[in-house]
Amino acid sequence: MSEFLTYTVIGLVTGCIYALTASGLVVTYMTTGILNFGHGAVSMVAAFAYWQLTVQWHVPVLVALVLVILIGAPVFGALLERLLMRPLQGKPVELQVVVTVGLLIFLLGLANLAWSPAASATRTLPRFFSGHSLKLASVFIDYHSIVVVIVAVAVAVGLRFFFSISRTGVAMRAVVDNPGLAAMTGARPYRIAQFSWALGAALAALGGVLLAPLQGALNIDLLTLTVILAIVPAVIGRLRSLPLTVAGGLVIGLAVTYAVGYLPPNSFVAKAQTALPMVILFVALVLLRQERLRSGRVTGMNIARAPSLSRSLVAAGVFIAAAIVVSELLSGVNLGTATRGVVLGIAFLSLVLLTGYAGQVSLGQMTFVGTGAYAMAHLGHHGSPVGALAAMVVSGALGAVVAIFAVRLRGLYLALSTLAFAYAMDYIFFDQHFGPYGSGLSVDRLHVPGLGTTSDKGFFVLGAVIFAVAGVGLLALRRGRYGRRLAALNDSPQACATLGVNIAYTKLAVFTASAALAGLAGALYGGQQHLVTSADFQTFNSLVLLLLVLLGGKSLVSGALATAVLYALFPILQQHVPSLSNIQYVLVGLGALTLGRNPDGLGGQITRLRDLMADRSGRTTPSLTSGGDRLVGADR
Amino acid sequence: MSAPTADPTDGAKVASSGDDVVLTVADVSVSFGGIRALDQVSLTARAGGVTGLIGPNGAGKTTMFNVITGLERPTHGRVRLGDADLSGMAPHRRARLGMARTFQRLEVFGSLSVRDNILTGAEFHRSWSRHADDPASVTDEILDRVGLRAVADLRVDAIPTGMARLVELGRALATRPRLLLLDEPGSGLDENESEELGRLLVELGHAGMAVLLVEHDVDLVMRISRQVFVLDFGRVIASGSSSEVQANPVVRAAYLGTQPANDLDDRTVADRGDA
Repeated sequence: MSEFLTYTVIGLVTGCIYALTASGLVVTYMTTGILNFGHGAVSMVAAFAYWQLTVQWHVPVLVALVLVILIGAPVFGALLERLLMRPLQGKPVELQVVVTVGLLIFLLGLANLAWSPAASATRTLPRFFSGHSLKLASVFIDYHSIVVVIVAVAVAVGLRFFFSISRTGVAMRAVVDNPGLAAMTGARPYRIAQFSWALGAALAALGGVLLAPLQGALNIDLLTLTVILAIVPAVIGRLRSLPLTVAGGLVIGLAVTYAVGYLPPNSFVAKAQTALPMVILFVALVLLRQERLRSGRVTGMNIARAPSLSRSLVAAGVFIAAAIVVSELLSGVNLGTATRGVVLGIAFLSLVLLTGYAGQVSLGQMTFVGTGAYAMAHLGHHGSPVGALAAMVVSGALGAVVAIFAVRLRGLYLALSTLAFAYAMDYIFFDQHFGPYGSGLSVDRLHVPGLGTTSDKGFFVLGAVIFAVAGVGLLALRRGRYGRRLAALNDSPQACATLGVNIAYTKLAVFTASAALAGLAGALYGGQQHLVTSADFQTFNSLVLLLLVLLGGKSLVSGALATAVLYALFPILQQHVPSLSNIQYVLVGLGALTLGRNPDGLGGQITRLRDLMADRSGRTTPSLTSGGDRLVGADR
Repeated sequence: MSAPTADPTDGAKVASSGDDVVLTVADVSVSFGGIRALDQVSLTARAGGVTGLIGPNGAGKTTMFNVITGLERPTHGRVRLGDADLSGMAPHRRARLGMARTFQRLEVFGSLSVRDNILTGAEFHRSWSRHADDPASVTDEILDRVGLRAVADLRVDAIPTGMARLVELGRALATRPRLLLLDEPGSGLDENESEELGRLLVELGHAGMAVLLVEHDVDLVMRISRQVFVLDFGRVIASGSSSEVQANPVVRAAYLGTQPANDLDDRTVADRGDA
């Protein structure tokens, strides 16, 4: 009984922290429509800053609390809104996701630079009123836990009053319902958005400072990940209801604690329990009432003109020829890097298809790469093509299964369901089937008889050929009937439905195809690495992948190649210049942050420049007699 | 009964079945959180002509379209297309039975050209209908029919709103519907263009199609509709021929207000300017 009480108390305390941080997410989302994936990173930085102030610089606790939670975090949140989030209003969901993912990666990189993980064991934060505890029934509860509960209750009650009574709070609710109308009646949506970001960041910081002492030594990843789980209660609250969010937080806290406490150690379930919140998230998303197909958004993705078949064939030929030359010039590690870049390029192409063409967001694409590598490892002995085929089938089938559940979701909810799936797979699958503790799984290289693909050079050229074929195939698809269908699906699902298109089926098909392509990339990637570990395919990498694809220009085959090579270079750069390891994430994060202002990515900029020059030299745009307003003039 | 041929190029075949009821809305109610958007609405649309649906803003016209096309589920009531009961049917299955619509708040495929918007509609039709013609030739014919030939190669998000509405109309026609639902196709058009639109709709009617028209330009509706339904606060307050409806005192009070007819005309023109 006392054991049960102890777990319950721990669960409730954990739940309170989830509730706190999730409330911050909800407050920001409901006034701005943007779910901040960097929320956990804000908590983490706040906890480190608080440690720096109190432990390192001996600033009094109260002063440090005020500095971090009441000044630092809100100012940071308000700046975020002004600089990054404002241009994101009304932009496609993948951009909104990726910019905050960029914030996450940027802050992670920054924190790793500032507080080297090597010394992490020495960084501990004392609990509040350390050493004091209270005996309740048969359970000792330390004062810190009591502080957590009191603060959580105070915040919940405070927010409740704030939204029902205060002028700002009521205005925020009005903005949720109808920004245009609220603006007409005197509310200032930007001010309110700024305030909600400030409030969200303050709650994140508060959660971080309360959570860190409970986790022992400060750990950048652990802190960030824990708070990222706040997404789960936020979704349970349907990103709108604070009371439901708080309840969701408590449920998650209790569920996780009981799972740790009562499940037999070493069992599959116990290992998988880390994935529990994300499993709950997936279920919550699937059970969520289906959003109505809403009409009223005129969009046209800015998609590059697809080159003609002859041009793309010439480009592919040049690319393969260049690859052959490069294979003669490079050797050893460098050749390996080039190969990794090219085969990962195929995975990047799978997102060009899914996100660039069809406008669907996957936050778990690396999972399908990983299952592809797994299939190759088990069915592709001695490089048998059967393995590569199996990789496509297995990953494609898995993609289809996820899609069956996910296709009725749209936008952010769809993205979250892929995130939940990928995150759960990290623990349920990758950590368990890639050698003991994910130490590694050996994969043979795909061997095409007669092409000498067993050598490093040959394998590189093989990868380049497959990339070229996939690229030419995608471009052909883009120009044709199926490409128009995907563009139509992206621009207006409701119009498609009223024209007789089964949207769910179309989405299912494109998800399956994209996952299969990612699986093929995985088979090749595994062969290139020889030994793959669970770390290769973690959700975090999926986020980086999506981010890079958008940076390269989400509908560009060439952009995918360029960013894939960049991605392949990461480990190399790190090896040669260790201090670069975090700077590269800082830079990638920074790059993503610019996407709010520049949604087409770097690749998009380049092609636009090219198109512009082509327009200047000859082609003229027909003039329109009946002027009138353009639909999305500002966006193009 | 034999389904009327919807092919607008073929008028002769349909003339005989010109008066069949294509759309039947029976007793439909929709509530949004306690507010009744539609209250026991019944209406019909017949093949071979335009049926007008008018009413002030917020009367429930677009909600009606959403219910008919399956984007909105009614709390009560039924919708039938020809002999088929559409209750609970997904939007794409309804479309395959022969209905197509345009949207008040545009739903064009903004990243495609005008031609490709219509072509996509024709290709969709081809993907589910065995009787579909070659998409390219259908597209060609429609481009001329709705007068978009000159802008065929422009991206749709770069053309004026009025034209984009015509693109939606063309795209809907590309699926060869029996029932065409038009949600304010005339807003954003100048007087000449709107006259042109009126002619086109009458033509489509003569070719055997049932056209249900929601439009703020009351003049246009009265000129071309064989029958007009008037919605106010989610209820049908009047129905009948144009002249009957115009003479109806309830309509004048509720919808047209007490203003004389001239003022009304001014107002609709102003409305169009705003849209």
